[in-house]
Amino acid sequence: MKKIKFSSVYLVLVFIILYIPIFYLIFYSFNQGGNMNHFTGFTWAHYQELFSDKRMLVIVLDTFLIAILSSLFATIIGTFGALGIAGRKSQRTKSALLTLNNVLMVSPDVIIGASFLILFSALGIGLGFGSVLLSHIAFSIPIVVLLVLPKVNELDPALLNAAQDLGATNWQTFSRVIVPYITPGIFSGFFMAFTYSLDDFAVTFFVTGNGFTTLSVEIYSRARQGISLEINALSAVMFLFSLLLVVGYYFVNRYSHSRRQKQRRHAKSEVTLS
Amino acid sequence: MAAPIIELQGITKTYDDGFTALSNINMTIEPGKFYSLLGPSGSGKTTILRLIAGFTNASSGAILFEGQKINDLPANQRKVNTVFQNYALFPHLDVFENVAFGLNLQKRPKAEIKKRVLDALKLVQLPGYANREISELSGGQQQRVAIARAIVNEPKVLLLDEPLSALDMKLRQDMQYELRELQQRLKITFIFVTHDQEEALAMSDEIFVVNDGKILQSGTPVDIYDEPINHFVANFIGESNILPGEMLADYQVEFVGKTFECADAGMKPNEKVEVVLRPEDLDVTTAEQGKLVVTVDTQLFRGDHFEIIGIDDDGNEWLIHSTNPVRGGKHIGLTFEPEDIHVMRFGEKEADFDARLEQYEED
Amino acid sequence: MKQSKRFFMIPYFIWIGLFVIAPLVLILYQSLTNTQHQFTLQNYATYGTSTTYLHMSLNSLWYAFLITAITLLISYPAAYFLSKLKHQQLWLLLIILPTWINLLLKAYAFIGLLSRTGSVNQFLTFVGIGPQQLLFSDASFLLVATYIEIPFMILPIYNAIVELNPALINASRDLGATNWQTFRRVIFPLTISGVKAGVQAVFIPSLSLFMLTRLIGGNRVITLGTAIEEHFMTTMNWGMGSTIGVVLIVMMFIIMALTNDRRKKRREVNDDEEN
Ligand SMILES: Nc1ncnc2c1ncn2[C@@H]1O[C@H](COP(=O)(O)OP(=O)(O)OP(=O)(O)O)[C@@H](O)[C@H]1O
Ligand SMILES: [Mg+2]
Repeated sequence: MKKIKFSSVYLVLVFIILYIPIFYLIFYSFNQGGNMNHFTGFTWAHYQELFSDKRMLVIVLDTFLIAILSSLFATIIGTFGALGIAGRKSQRTKSALLTLNNVLMVSPDVIIGASFLILFSALGIGLGFGSVLLSHIAFSIPIVVLLVLPKVNELDPALLNAAQDLGATNWQTFSRVIVPYITPGIFSGFFMAFTYSLDDFAVTFFVTGNGFTTLSVEIYSRARQGISLEINALSAVMFLFSLLLVVGYYFVNRYSHSRRQKQRRHAKSEVTLS
Repeated sequence: MAAPIIELQGITKTYDDGFTALSNINMTIEPGKFYSLLGPSGSGKTTILRLIAGFTNASSGAILFEGQKINDLPANQRKVNTVFQNYALFPHLDVFENVAFGLNLQKRPKAEIKKRVLDALKLVQLPGYANREISELSGGQQQRVAIARAIVNEPKVLLLDEPLSALDMKLRQDMQYELRELQQRLKITFIFVTHDQEEALAMSDEIFVVNDGKILQSGTPVDIYDEPINHFVANFIGESNILPGEMLADYQVEFVGKTFECADAGMKPNEKVEVVLRPEDLDVTTAEQGKLVVTVDTQLFRGDHFEIIGIDDDGNEWLIHSTNPVRGGKHIGLTFEPEDIHVMRFGEKEADFDARLEQYEED
Repeated sequence: MKQSKRFFMIPYFIWIGLFVIAPLVLILYQSLTNTQHQFTLQNYATYGTSTTYLHMSLNSLWYAFLITAITLLISYPAAYFLSKLKHQQLWLLLIILPTWINLLLKAYAFIGLLSRTGSVNQFLTFVGIGPQQLLFSDASFLLVATYIEIPFMILPIYNAIVELNPALINASRDLGATNWQTFRRVIFPLTISGVKAGVQAVFIPSLSLFMLTRLIGGNRVITLGTAIEEHFMTTMNWGMGSTIGVVLIVMMFIIMALTNDRRKKRREVNDDEEN
């Protein structure tokens, strides 16, 4: 009994530590006083300030645009990449491709940012929206591959033979058998790519220019100047947004999970019937 | 009768989700014997072992070890060891380290540990395997390591949870002999879980038949085979012909419209009962001489006997084991002795059943 | 089918060429040039002989080590207790959620919490210790970095723990092990792969957290990441920045080699083949 107590106390402490800074930010976003020290009264003023800050709104839109575009491209390229890797016969080529794929996964952000910066300047690509988008696509591709690949590997070759046996063309096999099967992997890949992009600071910091900024970079430069409760308001909004994303992701996962379980149960009953 | 080593008294186990896996289980385990828990999947066999081993707590009832109540004694202090359903060998340790695990915990001297581990490996016929990785062993070898790991601690009781279920037929039969022999040599009490009735019949001194969280019947293999208490046991253990019948008087039973002399008594007059006739107790004769006449439907050669399925005039199917095939006519007669008929009452408790048998076998 | 498959894979291969191989080659090449774009080994010579750089590298390693060690100490018990809870999926989600909050926002929160008149100092004053300089210190950098990395350590460890076959724990107890012995001899050795994955996930990023050193550590804490950022964005000495980058990459490979479990890998391969 005592041990259970200790473990719950410990966990509660960890959760408190994890959430204190976040709630602290949100709490002071309603502060009338202009700082994060003394709560002098409730106000929505910082939210009004945030939503009427044209520059900030443009940055938010840009950030989302980059996130959506980059995750879309990364998902398409990465999915085909995963299919290609899985289709390789030789185990050596496969693991070589996987190693290359994972280089960007394990590299520190600074290295990615710095080396991309060198790359863009070597190619003569100007810094700004384009370079940021390209970088985000680039660092999102490997995570998509890693999330889609297991699903592709799970795919039973007999399934493909069955489809062809039933008269499906290559394209039909692809669109009606392969894609539906790996869709959960594609979804989580897209999702992860999206959050990677939203979250990125270091890479963007290196490769942005010409006045183009994303939220992270903007927060960094504002935070270096000191406290501004507009940022608190922003974090409250972002927190809500993340919460929605997480809950959404949870349900998507649960849905595909339960569907899979149902299928499995179905398969089982068929086996026992025959 | 030796003093029992383990007793379960009125054990009930309800899991957290409200499912009652065991209800009112009573068992008496004597030292040095080989017991089997026999029952279909999900009947609660593993749950009984887990209670004895101490991995889970009974909801009510008492577990006694050598007369002491051990309900609250943690698993690591009980003098029983377990061979797990899927062996549960430690993948990060090699064979020697696995077997030495318990002795290391007891901080035995190095030399003693080494000697006992090597002896145990010899006992399970795996000498020379000490430095193998677990992943490099076959299923049968893993199973032996699991046994060695348990017996090296010299437990008073060894619990085995379907240890042979993952093995192929041949190896399984070899291991049955080996286990039985090992038990007789070590004189440790074995409680062996299986859902294979042949295995239980072949190996045990005593069998507990479990179904739906209850013990339906316990006794020697011969007792249970010859005198099953109800339809379930008769059906689960061995093959049988089970027919509805009526007890006309003591030693007189009616089924398939005929009256037969039998060896059972102690029931109410005209009580509805079920009658069991084992296929090997039925002898084939000519239609004229038979107590029953059936028409042969199919006949299969099973290696050591012929399996005949016959159908009587009422449409009942009869399963017959015969050493000789039926030739010629399709109509055959069946004969059997009064003691081959076994009468089962509906819903009779094991205690009443035993009492009735005892009473009528005396005279 | 073969043909079309090749065709659809082209973008992926372009990506590998352009964004995986080329940057690595370029950063190596850049490290071998000076500001006049001439080929030279000068950068490496400077790095190898300057005590500043050596000190900075050791410093960086030391901080990364401390962050990893503290994170591990906090995370292992948390992951373990977490695996014993009901509704684990939900609790896990609560661990993951903070990682979805922008890192800069979390750092910003600590600027508020740790500032001279911030809540922590108010508390310290209240208990009679009096206000302290918290921000811009080594300790504050460690604190914030640890805070940020905790979830990344908990998750792989948690995954390793729930993968553990519970029968092994029963087996250990059956053979007479106490809870602590079971932990030390069975649970920990069998979850070490999760610990290694967690160390990888925490140690390498910790070498390069330049934004935290800037925002929280003042300029007192200089890590490899900070130096790279400075050479690329402020002093514009890309050659030297790339040299430090190459050093960082080498360190990364060393860490990976140390934490990659060959034996485990082999087993996994075997398992796959069996399935
Ligand atoms: N932890 C648990 N929580 C809830 N129900 C459980 C739990 N463990 C077992 N049960 C249920 O208790 C019943 C008995 O389970 P048990 O494992 O004892 O069966 P068994 O006879 O060993 O079966 P098998 O031959 O398949 O191993 C089953 O219906 C099972 O679903
Ligand atoms: Mg079982």
